[in-house]
Amino acid sequence: MRKKEKMRLERGVREKSTVKYFAIIFLLLLLVMGMVLPQGARSLVIHVMIFCILAMGYDISLGFTNQCSLGHSVFFGIGAYGAVLSILHLHIGFLPSLFFSLLGGFILGTLTGFISVRLSEAYFVIVTAIFFGVFHLLAMDMTWLTGGDDGLSVNLQTLSVGGISISLYDQRVNYYFVLVFLILSYLALDRIIRSPMGKIFVSIRENEKRVQFLGYNVYRYKLIAFIVSGVFSALSGGLYGLTLRYGSADFFSFHWSIMPVVWCLIGGLGTLAGPWIGVVIMSLFQYYVSAWWTYYLILFGIIILLILRISRKGILGYVLSRRLS
Amino acid sequence: MPEIVSTVLFLFINGLIWGLIVALIALGLTLIFGVMGIVNMAHGDIYMAGAVLSFYVVGMFGNFWLSLILVPVIVILFAAPLERLVLRPYEGYHSTSMIATVGISFIIQQIALGIYGGIPKKISNPWPMSFNFLGVDYPGYRFLVAFISILILAGLWLFLYRTSYGILVRASMQDREMASAMGIDVNKILITTFVLGCVLAAVGGVLAAPIYQVFYLMGHDVILLSFIVVIIGGLGSLKGTLIAALALCSIEGVMASFLSPVQAKAAIFIIMIVVLMRRPRGLFAE
Repeated sequence: MRKKEKMRLERGVREKSTVKYFAIIFLLLLLVMGMVLPQGARSLVIHVMIFCILAMGYDISLGFTNQCSLGHSVFFGIGAYGAVLSILHLHIGFLPSLFFSLLGGFILGTLTGFISVRLSEAYFVIVTAIFFGVFHLLAMDMTWLTGGDDGLSVNLQTLSVGGISISLYDQRVNYYFVLVFLILSYLALDRIIRSPMGKIFVSIRENEKRVQFLGYNVYRYKLIAFIVSGVFSALSGGLYGLTLRYGSADFFSFHWSIMPVVWCLIGGLGTLAGPWIGVVIMSLFQYYVSAWWTYYLILFGIIILLILRISRKGILGYVLSRRLS
Repeated sequence: MPEIVSTVLFLFINGLIWGLIVALIALGLTLIFGVMGIVNMAHGDIYMAGAVLSFYVVGMFGNFWLSLILVPVIVILFAAPLERLVLRPYEGYHSTSMIATVGISFIIQQIALGIYGGIPKKISNPWPMSFNFLGVDYPGYRFLVAFISILILAGLWLFLYRTSYGILVRASMQDREMASAMGIDVNKILITTFVLGCVLAAVGGVLAAPIYQVFYLMGHDVILLSFIVVIIGGLGSLKGTLIAALALCSIEGVMASFLSPVQAKAAIFIIMIVVLMRRPRGLFAE
């Protein structure tokens, strides 16, 4: 009994360090790749990095507190519009505009969280899906604000720090700009997960009732996790808007709600860096297969069904459980 | 009769008839959730499939009424294996089942896009009669739709509350494990329920096809509305779903007289939030 528990603890520590090594290697690889990649591939990798932030943010919600939300496109869209609209109307630089993305994500996360987090599982998924539906409709309808389907284009100002001017129009600068945010988000989220609060998140996932009996306010911690998840999704949306220098009602579409789920399921729930694998696989899949077959969403549907059937822990979780058992 | 009153009344009745169609769809949704524990995201696409199939039946045989019989048969042939072979492992896991049915929804949508095409088409009105109702010419087909929907709802009620098989379905809805322990063949009940829910949605699609345009994304609006209906009425509550569908759609219809359609949707959404704040499990949940 004692021995078994010790083995499990050791295994948990080893799993965690494996994930950490993977994350460090992945980030170093990205650091080098920015120098050597040709233009087209670099733009793909920029998108991958932005989606990695979204996937990590979503993992906090689904992987750590077991809240399966289908409404994260709302945060992604509000993040993109927070950046685009603040640049357009307040004429500020791109760095302060990201603040408005985060603010938008925080406010919306708090509001939607207040309503949805205390609901039971089935109600939670449905209500978050309704959030997505209504916000998408509103974004399509309020063309005076959002530009609807056609969207809004913006011009970015140049940021000068200590004599060096930074312009996102240079793709290489854009690459490292996004990479810095990916590293910062990873460090921040890793810190949150390792804090006592993160431990409570995990215990809510493992056994919600028990945490409640231990005297923790489950509702409050779930709400915090939901808001954190929303804020990082909004950051990802803001970076996406800045990279494309464009915001459209399409950023509220269902694509941005279902993709994070798929990324996390493929890569590995509750591992923070695991979903990155999912992002890479799905981005390559979409990039190549959508060019080859118009109805590739059929394959996408089949992939969703297969992943759910094979393993809910994702590729990283599957490899870890194989290697260590 | 002042004009504003007759306009509002017209919109109210329009909303009520739409509410009857939505009730068919949402009842299917709540039945599937109640018995199987599946949140069916593909329900709107089955509604779309019903409309698209009826478009083909009309094109092939030139008779709209035939599609009311043929489409359910086709849907049964597809839905029964779908439940048994694809959906069975996800039953009871609410969020997993919802994501799985998103996958199915993509597949149905893309197949419809591939075969039917992305352009909205219209089915000609099968019963071009109109009644003069309070000074407004009202299309007779819509009253017929209301009549057929009420017949189907009555049939569903008779099936669930007046037949022995209906009692078995309701027993599995209340406690599936207990029902299975009492010797009820739950396997059969699961297939029946899923097929019944899908047929209800498809019939809703057939009835709506001549009123609205047939389009491969037409399920999106309907799934959103039926989810709101089911949440307000209470998941798994048949009575609540029926009442919520009729009430919400007639409210939406009346509000459409002074708001844009999207604003009316947003108003419905706000009603849902207020209900959820007061009653987190819907109005009629047991």
